[in-house]
Amino acid sequence: MNEYSIIGKPTTNVDGVAKVTGEAVYTFDMTLPNMLHGKLLRSPHPHARIVSIDTSEAEKLPGVKAVITGKDTPGGKYGLWRRFRELADQEILATTKVRFIGDPVAAVAATSEDIAEKALDLINVEYEPLPAVFEPLEAIKDDAPLVHDDFENNINATRHIEWGNVDKAFKNADYVREDRFNLLSQHPAPMEVHSSIASYEKGSGRLTVWSSTQSPYFLQLGLADALKMREGNIRVIKPHVGGAFGGKNSTMPDSVNAAILSMKTGRPVKIVFNREEEFSATEKRTAMHLAIKIGLKKDGTLLAKEVKIITDGGAYTGLGATTLYLAGTWITFPYKTPNYRYDGFRTYTNKMWSSSVRGFGAVSAVYAAETQIDRAARDLGIDPIEIRRRNAMTTGYEAPGQYKVESCGILPCIDKMEQRVKEKWANLDKDEGIGFAAFAYMSGGIFNWIDTPYAFSGAMVKVNIDGTVDLFTQASDIGQGHNTVSVMICAEELGIGIEDIRLHPADTATTLTDLGAWGSRETLMNGNAVKAAAAEVKKKLIEVARMKLGENIVYDLDAKDKRIYIALRPERGFSYYDIVKDAIKGNDGEPLIGIGHYTPHRKGMVSPAYAMGIMGVRAKVDRETGQVEVKEVIVVHDCGQTINPLGARGQVEGSIQMGLGFGLCEDLPTENGLILNPSFVDYKLIRIREMPQIELFDVPTYDPEGPYGAKESAEATTAPTAPALANAIYNAVGVEFDSNVLRLEKVLKALKEKEAKEKGKGRR
Amino acid sequence: MSNYRCPCCRKISSDPHDLARHFLGQTDSKHKDWLKTKGLSYAQLITSQTEFGNKGYDTLAEVLKKEAPKVE
Repeated sequence: MNEYSIIGKPTTNVDGVAKVTGEAVYTFDMTLPNMLHGKLLRSPHPHARIVSIDTSEAEKLPGVKAVITGKDTPGGKYGLWRRFRELADQEILATTKVRFIGDPVAAVAATSEDIAEKALDLINVEYEPLPAVFEPLEAIKDDAPLVHDDFENNINATRHIEWGNVDKAFKNADYVREDRFNLLSQHPAPMEVHSSIASYEKGSGRLTVWSSTQSPYFLQLGLADALKMREGNIRVIKPHVGGAFGGKNSTMPDSVNAAILSMKTGRPVKIVFNREEEFSATEKRTAMHLAIKIGLKKDGTLLAKEVKIITDGGAYTGLGATTLYLAGTWITFPYKTPNYRYDGFRTYTNKMWSSSVRGFGAVSAVYAAETQIDRAARDLGIDPIEIRRRNAMTTGYEAPGQYKVESCGILPCIDKMEQRVKEKWANLDKDEGIGFAAFAYMSGGIFNWIDTPYAFSGAMVKVNIDGTVDLFTQASDIGQGHNTVSVMICAEELGIGIEDIRLHPADTATTLTDLGAWGSRETLMNGNAVKAAAAEVKKKLIEVARMKLGENIVYDLDAKDKRIYIALRPERGFSYYDIVKDAIKGNDGEPLIGIGHYTPHRKGMVSPAYAMGIMGVRAKVDRETGQVEVKEVIVVHDCGQTINPLGARGQVEGSIQMGLGFGLCEDLPTENGLILNPSFVDYKLIRIREMPQIELFDVPTYDPEGPYGAKESAEATTAPTAPALANAIYNAVGVEFDSNVLRLEKVLKALKEKEAKEKGKGRR
Repeated sequence: MSNYRCPCCRKISSDPHDLARHFLGQTDSKHKDWLKTKGLSYAQLITSQTEFGNKGYDTLAEVLKKEAPKVE
C-alpha cells in the first residue's frame, strides 16, 4: 500500500514547462546592464616556464577595458581540497609556469566577445618549453619531469584500503586470476558550457557571481580563497544549469577571472567558454590503469580481492583524489569481500585534469570488476547470474572501517533479472549475446575535504497566511530534477500540494548551506533537511489543530491532502489553510518558519546509504564490420523508496546513454597533451536514435537514513552499462577487452585476432 | 599495550602497518624528509605498492616499529 499522497507518484518537473518553453534562464543566456565580455588566453604548451607577458598592444585596442595576468591576482593557490592545503593547487592565472595545453595565462574584458578575442591575439607571451609527461606510468618514474615541484614522482595523492588477511585468503583460494585494464577518459559534455557573470560593487566590496555550477557553496569558498575575500562578501547564485555531470564542481577560470576583471573595471563581466575550451580545459572522467586479482572457492565464493590503480590525474587535483578513493571502494560492491587490499595512486601529468564524472569513481572500477567476474564464472563453469547471487551483499553487511549497508535489495534484484531474462531473452539471433553487470552507488559522500563547519545540507520553510509555502534551499538542480524532488518532499510532509510551494533555490545569500549536487547526494541529504524543516512547521500546525480540537493527547494527528485531522478519525479535523491562518494570527503575526539540517553521523567513511541493482544488456555484433548494436537493456534497481518515478526513469535513461558512450564511442585522444577531438563533430556521443529500449524495474526497500526511505537513484546505472555490454559482446562472438571504447575497429581487430588464433590451433 | 606515534605529526596507532599507511598517505615534505633520514625513498615505497602485495608498507612498518616513539 502506498501511504503517501505525493511521494512515489510520477510527477512532471516543477520547472519543466519553463525549460521547454525557453522561459528558464541559464547563465549562458544572461545579460546585465553595462556588462563586459571576458576571454582567456591559454597556454599552447603542455609544460613551459613563463618568461614574460606583454599586454601593452592588447590594452590599446579600442573596446578593451582590462587585461590581467597572474601578477594582477592576489596570488596563492586554491582548490576543493581545502582541508589538505597542499592539494589546493590551482592558480587563477599561471604565474611561473603552465602545466597543460589550455592553462590560462591572461584574461581580457572588452565591450564585445569579438574585441576580447582580438585582444587575446595581441598579447605576447614568451615561453620556455619544458619536458612534459603525459602518461601516468611514465610520470611515476624517477626521471620524469615534475608537474609540481613539491610532488615527488608526480604522486598527487595515494589511498590504501585493507581489511581481513588478503595474502592468507589467496593461499586458501581454489582459483586465482589477475586482470589488467586500461580505462580511458570521457568528457561530461554538458549542453551548457562553463559560464559565469561576476559583478563587483566597489562601494561595499561585495561580489555577486551567477554561474553554471554544481555547488554554489563550493564556488563561494573557492572564490573566497582565490580572491582572498571573506566568504560572506561573496554571493553565488546558480540559475538553471544545462548539465554538469561532475564537471562543474571546481572553481574554474570563468568565474574567478570574471570576478577579477569586474573588480578592475567596476562593471559586470561575463565569461563563457567556447566548445573547444569546454572539451580541452574542463574536468573529465579519470582515466586509469587498473590491476585486479581475485581469489575464489570452486563454487564461486569470493575469498579475496586485491586492486591497484594508477590514475591519470592531469595538471591539478580537482576532485580526483576522491575519485581515487571511490574507485577502490566501488570495486568491492555489491559483493561480500571478506579480505580486501587496495592501493591507489593519482599522478600529475601535463594534461587537463581529471576529476569526477557521473558515476564518480565507479564507472571504470565496475568495468574491471564486472568483466572479470564473468571471466571467473566461465572458468569455473558457473552461471554469470549465479556467481553474482552467491556473493551478493545482504542487509547489515559491513566492510570493516569503511562502510555498512543498512538497506540492500541486490538479491531480489538478481532474482527479478533472472526471471525477466528467461521470459524475454530466451531466444537470441545469431551473433547476439546477453551480458550482466551488478552495481551499487552512494547516496552522497561522507567527505569533508572542503572543510565546511556547516551541516552538509540545510533548508528553510516559510508558510504564508494564504497557506502558500516558500521553500529555501541551496541544493542544486543541475538537470537531475532535484527541484521537483525537494518540492515533493516538502509537500508530502506538510500534506499540501506541489502547487502550494514556491522554491527559492541555490543562492548563497538567502539559503542555508548545501554542499551541492555530486555523488547523488541531494535526494537523501537535502531531502532530509527539507523534510525536517517542513516537519518543524507541521508540528506547529498540529499544535494549533490539537488546541482547537481539544482532544485527548493520545490521539495522533496527521497532515495530509490539505487537512489536519485525527489519524484514526479522518473526518474530525480542519482545513490546512484555516489552521495556517489561526497559527499565524495566534502568534503575533509571525510567519511560520521551519529550519532543517542534515549531516550524516556514524555511517562509516563512504555514504549513509547505497543503491543497488543489476543490469542486463542484449547486443548484436556484426562480424563483417565489428559494429555493435545495443538492442535492449533491462535494469532492476533498488533505490529505496523512489520519490519521483518519472524523474528516476529519465535519469536512468541518461545514465545508460552516458554509460554506452563510455563503453562504445566517447574518448579524448591526445597528441603531446593536445586533445584531438574538441568538438561535437569529432567527439562521438550516443544520440537518441542509437538508444536501446530500456525496461526498468524497481525493487523497493526502505533505507532508515533516507527521507521516506529513499536513497540514490539512477546515477548508479552509469557504471554497469559498459561492462554488461562487454560481457554481452563476449557472449555473442567470444572476444573480450581490457579497455572501454569498443569502437567497430577495435571489435573487428579482436575478431580477426581470435579467428587467426583459432586457425592456428586448427593447423596444429 | 604500546602505541606508536608518528615521528612527524600527532597520529597515534597501535599497529605499525597502520602507521605506515598513514605515513605514505601524507604528501607534505615533513613526512617525506623523515623517510630520507632513514635511507628510504617516498617514491620507491609508493611505487613498490603498485605491484600486487604489500612490500612498501611492510618495509616502512619495520622501520616505524623500531624508530617511532612509543606511547602508552
